[in-house]
Amino acid sequence: MDQSITRNFCIIAHIDHGKSTLADRLIEMTGAMRSEDIREQVLDSMDLERERGITIKAKAIRLNYQARDGKSYRLNLVDTPGHVDFSYEVSRTIASCEGAVLVIDATQGIQAQTLANIYLAMEHKLEVIPAINKIDLPGSEPERVLDEIESVLGYDRESVLFISAKTGQGVPLLLEEIVRRIPPPRGSPDMPLRALIFDSHYDSYKGVVAYLRVADGQIAKGDDLRLMGQGTEMETLEVGYFAPGPCPTDGLSAGDVGYIATGLKYVGECRVGDTVTSLINGATEPLIGYRPAKPMVFAGIYPAVADDYRDLREAMEKLSLNDASLSYEPESSPLLGHGFRCGFLGLLHLDIVCERLEREFSLSLVVTTPGVSFLVTKSNGEKLTIINPTDMPSPAEIEKLEEPWVAISIITPSKFIGSLMELIMECGGSYKRTEYLGQAKTLGELGQRVQLEYEIPLRSMLTTFYDQLKSRSRGYASLDYEFLGYRKANLVKLDVLVNEVLADAFSRIIPPDKAHEVGKAMVFNLKKDIPRQLFKVPLQAAVGGRIVARADIPAKRKDVLAKCYGGDITRKRKLLEKQKEGKKKMKIIGHVEIPREAFMNVLKLN
Amino acid sequence: MLKETERQTAGSQDIALYVHVPFCRHKCNYCSFVSYSHRESDIPAYVSALQEELALSAAGQRVSSLYFGGGTPSLLSPQQVGDILSTIRSLFKIDEAAETTLEANPGTVDRPYLAAISASGVNRLSLGVQSLHDDELKLLGRIHTSVEAKNAMRCARRAGFSNLNLDLIYGLPGQTLSSWQNTLNEAIELGAEHLSLYALKLEGDEPLYEAIERGEVPPPDPDLSADQYELAEELLAAHSYQHYEISNWAREGRECRHNLVYWHNMPYLGIGVAAHSYLDGHRFANTRDLDRYLKALSHDVPLIREMSEEIGPKMKLAETVILGLRLNSGVRLDDIRARFSVDLRDRYHQEIDELTCLGLLENDAGGIRLTSRGRLLANEAFWRFLPE
Repeated sequence: MDQSITRNFCIIAHIDHGKSTLADRLIEMTGAMRSEDIREQVLDSMDLERERGITIKAKAIRLNYQARDGKSYRLNLVDTPGHVDFSYEVSRTIASCEGAVLVIDATQGIQAQTLANIYLAMEHKLEVIPAINKIDLPGSEPERVLDEIESVLGYDRESVLFISAKTGQGVPLLLEEIVRRIPPPRGSPDMPLRALIFDSHYDSYKGVVAYLRVADGQIAKGDDLRLMGQGTEMETLEVGYFAPGPCPTDGLSAGDVGYIATGLKYVGECRVGDTVTSLINGATEPLIGYRPAKPMVFAGIYPAVADDYRDLREAMEKLSLNDASLSYEPESSPLLGHGFRCGFLGLLHLDIVCERLEREFSLSLVVTTPGVSFLVTKSNGEKLTIINPTDMPSPAEIEKLEEPWVAISIITPSKFIGSLMELIMECGGSYKRTEYLGQAKTLGELGQRVQLEYEIPLRSMLTTFYDQLKSRSRGYASLDYEFLGYRKANLVKLDVLVNEVLADAFSRIIPPDKAHEVGKAMVFNLKKDIPRQLFKVPLQAAVGGRIVARADIPAKRKDVLAKCYGGDITRKRKLLEKQKEGKKKMKIIGHVEIPREAFMNVLKLN
Repeated sequence: MLKETERQTAGSQDIALYVHVPFCRHKCNYCSFVSYSHRESDIPAYVSALQEELALSAAGQRVSSLYFGGGTPSLLSPQQVGDILSTIRSLFKIDEAAETTLEANPGTVDRPYLAAISASGVNRLSLGVQSLHDDELKLLGRIHTSVEAKNAMRCARRAGFSNLNLDLIYGLPGQTLSSWQNTLNEAIELGAEHLSLYALKLEGDEPLYEAIERGEVPPPDPDLSADQYELAEELLAAHSYQHYEISNWAREGRECRHNLVYWHNMPYLGIGVAAHSYLDGHRFANTRDLDRYLKALSHDVPLIREMSEEIGPKMKLAETVILGLRLNSGVRLDDIRARFSVDLRDRYHQEIDELTCLGLLENDAGGIRLTSRGRLLANEAFWRFLPE
């Protein structure tokens, strides 16, 4: 195969800037599918992706393009996930391409993820083709965005294309520029095999299907392969590419993008970012340093009904077949019963997992307050990683406590700077840098666009941070974040006691000066939602042995049906049966019956 | 309609007979019962239908008590009451000492009326007084004043009624402990033999419920109504009323025999719209729809059952215990043994222990009964006796 006619590229964009729509147009215009066959946004195959307008899993499609120079080119379009939680997957996608189309919304301009993605592309030395999208929209400001691209990103005005992915305007030229500007892949088919896995999914017939970019060498059906990072050995059951359906072929060669079917059972055995080589006479150096994506956010997932635990376990197993970034281990809680402590890349990842569990497996879940992992060094020198607040040792035992920090980048109209800075300071953030990106006409009195850079504890981003960011900036601000590392933290565990008994699921790790406020809110909410019992129930919030907030639920005094109307015993009995059923659904702690809504509301409390 | 087998077996037992009169001059603001206002012109047809249904249901049973409930049975003329009673007498064997109660709205009766129904055989009158405060009566949407209520009471006495019940309501929005005490004191002074005290219970579709929802009326305070209940217990005990059932007090020997049939889980036959029956282990109820009821009985087509269910032995035992616990006398071990061949303390060992610990139930020599705390929290005791 002649490598000179291959172009491997991806589309990078901030969420909703039109990445998937552009992919659809490219597919349609190169004739890979007739337009009537394109269900809008072909690359987003999960319903959930389509609904949320984000792409969770990267996929690759081969397009054949007849260029104006008369030659027929093979374009491999690699789709990237579009959300900050999945930056590791984005980086691996980018690493498998020589070029990128940078899509920027003509009505919004550069956003936080635009910058994050462009830095990744620069890091991997990709040829970037900036394209201003949505120029057909009435509110678009292509000239202003062009200025921004020039001043902020440093691209020549002439290198920027104007397109409408929706109408197709400018897309033919974009295809020509992809061929002209993006270099053909280097690498040699004669060298030992090295191929980068940029995505994988589980197929019940073929096992794990790995999407990969062959850098050197060749892969043929039947080859015995090895993963250099994980050491997994596997056989190539099938090899092929997508156009857009799977097209099995004899083999893939240096420069190609395609897939292999491995027969492996878990995507965890064949992770994104690893380098594939031959089992015998393989390469010695991987393409890129392999590190498995690490979960950053943790939460307990429990079935709402204890009997559903087995179903939940099966669902977690099935889901993790396809999601190597999802970690889970069984845990049990006196309040919530048996469930799992799960690790996620971020809050969105958590949301997606929960939605899939509820939607695809018809489960009703209880999800505990999301938290981070803490590094604890005990006075006796023992080191612990704490992912469940309940396991936090008592303050006296802790020598050092560390928590993860992230670097955040926010792009916002200048009018909201004050309010956003206040928010970040409340979250314990530390200021790094401000950069003015220039005036936007549509912003009017909202002022210039500004990029704010801060460092904050990841913990404080897990509450209402994002919602606050959006509401304080009237929806204008965009956010990107990157993991920095662990830093020393001053935090305490806040416990809730119901009738003197610890309600483990409610424990939280918070700054000491917030203990009273948070504790008060928690006991107040519980008091509101827990029905009066046959005895007085004290609700307490405590740090160590110190009570920081308290509320009492007075004992119920009256619960009786009075009138027996015309001998209607049945109605009375039905009411009692309902009462009995209701009791069964309650969780019992400290002899107190707690309805589901009560602990849901406290778990959701920020 | 009863099946043939039911008729045969029904003939051999004592039953209570309930007649429902689903008419009201004005539907009260707190009422979720089956009653129709502005349908008084249908009363003659309804009386015929009742007589028709009585004829269909009768199988020579012995009747120990008769009860006209509503709605407002006192909207029937003395003639109509008399006609229904004659029909009953012709179809059933009526005990000589049978208790015959009629519920009356104080706003619908005068002395001649009461004298006439007394003459036709009604020997117990239950007056829906509800409150002796006019502002509370107005809130409830009653058609009478407190003066009219007291008047009705006096008229009843003069008409010869020596067995009178007053219905009173507590737990009203805005009702205080002292206004309730006033109502109770006046009721005691009136000297009724029997008092039924009901806590206001709103189901969600009553005008009063809606007024609370709209914020026009304060919501009832459950703790205050508990205080009101306890006050009533104290006050009535001091005036020789026996607290014989959760909501009912009576002077000695004046317990409502008809209602005791319900609490003892014994059979009864209900006649009329929405009337419930319990015969031969079978609970059923007539349609709640007046037009369908009238149509069925005038065209001789089968009556539509609103509900019909067989009560199995486990449920029957549970119901017997739950209903029996409503009574101050509680549930008797020998009674349960005789009726079910079951040792009560054995069968409900766990429930009885738990409820005793919670202070809701107490054991005495012959059985179990609710404590005074248990009477206010009876549902918490009752549901535990339901079968799985």
